[in-house]
Amino acid sequence: MGDIWQGFVEAVKLIIHFDPYVMKIAFFTLYVCAIATFFGMLIGIPLGSALALYRFRGRKFMVTVVNAGMGLPPVVVGLFVYLFLKRRGPLGFLGWLYTPKAIIFAEIILATPLIAGITMAAVQNVNPKLRLQSKSLGAGEIRSTMTLLSETRLSLLAAVIAGFGGIISEVGAAMIVGGNLMLNGEPYTRTLTTAIVLEVNKGNSTLAIALGIILLGITLLLVWILTSIQQGGLFSEPVRVARSLFSRFRGEET
Amino acid sequence: MTDVLVSVEGLRQSYDGRQVLSVDKLELLEGEILAIVGPNGSGKSTLLRLINLLEKPTRGDIVYWTGKRLSEVDRNERRELALQMAMIFQEPLLFKRSVKANIAYGLKMRRMPQEEKEGKVLEMLERLDLAELADRDAMTLSGGEAQKVTLGRAMVLQPRLLLMDEPLASLDVLARKALREDISRLVRELGVTAAYVTHDYTEVLEIADRLAVLLDGELQQVDRPSEVFGRPATEQVAEFLGAENLLEGEVAACREGMAEIDIAGIKLEALCEQPPGSRVKVLIHPEEVVLLADSGDAGSARNRMPARVTNVKVLGALVKVSLECGFPLVAYITLASTEEMGIATGRRVTAAIKATAIHVMPYVGRPEASG
Repeated sequence: MGDIWQGFVEAVKLIIHFDPYVMKIAFFTLYVCAIATFFGMLIGIPLGSALALYRFRGRKFMVTVVNAGMGLPPVVVGLFVYLFLKRRGPLGFLGWLYTPKAIIFAEIILATPLIAGITMAAVQNVNPKLRLQSKSLGAGEIRSTMTLLSETRLSLLAAVIAGFGGIISEVGAAMIVGGNLMLNGEPYTRTLTTAIVLEVNKGNSTLAIALGIILLGITLLLVWILTSIQQGGLFSEPVRVARSLFSRFRGEET
Repeated sequence: MTDVLVSVEGLRQSYDGRQVLSVDKLELLEGEILAIVGPNGSGKSTLLRLINLLEKPTRGDIVYWTGKRLSEVDRNERRELALQMAMIFQEPLLFKRSVKANIAYGLKMRRMPQEEKEGKVLEMLERLDLAELADRDAMTLSGGEAQKVTLGRAMVLQPRLLLMDEPLASLDVLARKALREDISRLVRELGVTAAYVTHDYTEVLEIADRLAVLLDGELQQVDRPSEVFGRPATEQVAEFLGAENLLEGEVAACREGMAEIDIAGIKLEALCEQPPGSRVKVLIHPEEVVLLADSGDAGSARNRMPARVTNVKVLGALVKVSLECGFPLVAYITLASTEEMGIATGRRVTAAIKATAIHVMPYVGRPEASG
């Protein structure tokens, strides 16, 4: 219990003093996860929507792949990405192994099926006639799909939260393809999770706990922000104030 | 002559090899409200979706107001046609946004300038008495209000053709009445041509110019509502329309369009072109049966039969009187007449029916159940 308390106190100190080592690892982790989540959304949302809305040859197989992908063990993903990116691997010519790009690549693979799977379930849950209604009012194929996605925005945010949560907390893939490296005394491919593993191995459990608390704090903060957006609590008040100011301004103008 | 807006020709639609719709010819006339009625599963909604370009037909063609055939139009022309139509579904399918934003949806899809769009939306909100709900979340509306918004959302587009797929089906009696009046008023005011699909024909009698009856995917009859009710084309149409006094008979004699029909040994004179010996179905509208306390004057009625009252049921202002006159017969008379004549079970009366009030249809035998 003493270790945990010590770790908590240490974490507070590190955060208050903006410890450069911890800050750099935290920002690197956020940077990697944000890019991977963005690309996961870019691929996962259209993929999930297509699987929900269209019937085509191979759809069942793709649905199975997406569903299986939602439970992919990060270590296995890391291993396969490593095999592809290693110097003699099929993608070895890219020279990405042990770089941030490799971590992002692996995490996109982890986030995409999560986002696609939840999107697919969400879109399938919407009344299919809503899309017909949208088309009958003049929306084309893309606009009607966008309308449907807008109807499922709460679930889409849940998909993003799941994708982000899945990759910020994983350690296996980042460790294998990133290597947990420091370059010129700066964290290069070191994320919060890989740093925690390293500190535990070194017996520095205080720093490991501090990093763990920071990781937990970041995760909770981001998930809280996303949840607030989802449930309409975070921006509702500022939006209300902005609307009232805008209407007052327009009223004065006229 | 009224212009034809849309013409359906030899249209067939099948799902998984099962044919659900087969319409050889159906025309929608400019400015009319055409009610398409039929029981559930008769292909009514499929027909609307095909006209609205939401589905492709298995076979056949649709000719639109541009003169173009569905089979000939390219992607752009298809879109142009689609933009001139709007459809309302059975459930009020609103989007998760404000009432105003819902009504503006179709205009947004047409990329209408913001100012013009706002003006049209406000005008429609006023027309439908929805101005107070403009900023309300559409998900919080009652069923009647929600369907009213879907009507506004379609009508604000001032479509050439409005398609309605059982728009009142999910509403209670009061909301149905109110929305039916709104539909009728808006369609007439804006001069829109409309096709209105329903399984409940009573809901469209007040507003439809013509009635099309669709049974088992096949179009049975298209005509003015009074004509369809008065002279159903087939026994099935009469049955669907809830006809009473649908009797089986045989043409005993026929001369110059006037026939003598034998129904259970009783001879009735009726207008008919069937040759003697033909089996026929006879429809006698209950409101056309005149009851006389004695065999006195019944005007020009050619058919008079002694009858015994077997049952009397008060249906508000009207009374349903069941009679036995060699075959069972139902008559509707007013409550005042019932009291005046002392109509009661067991009472003997004379039933009089004009020859022109009897509608004779060819007999279509039903397949007998085997085993």
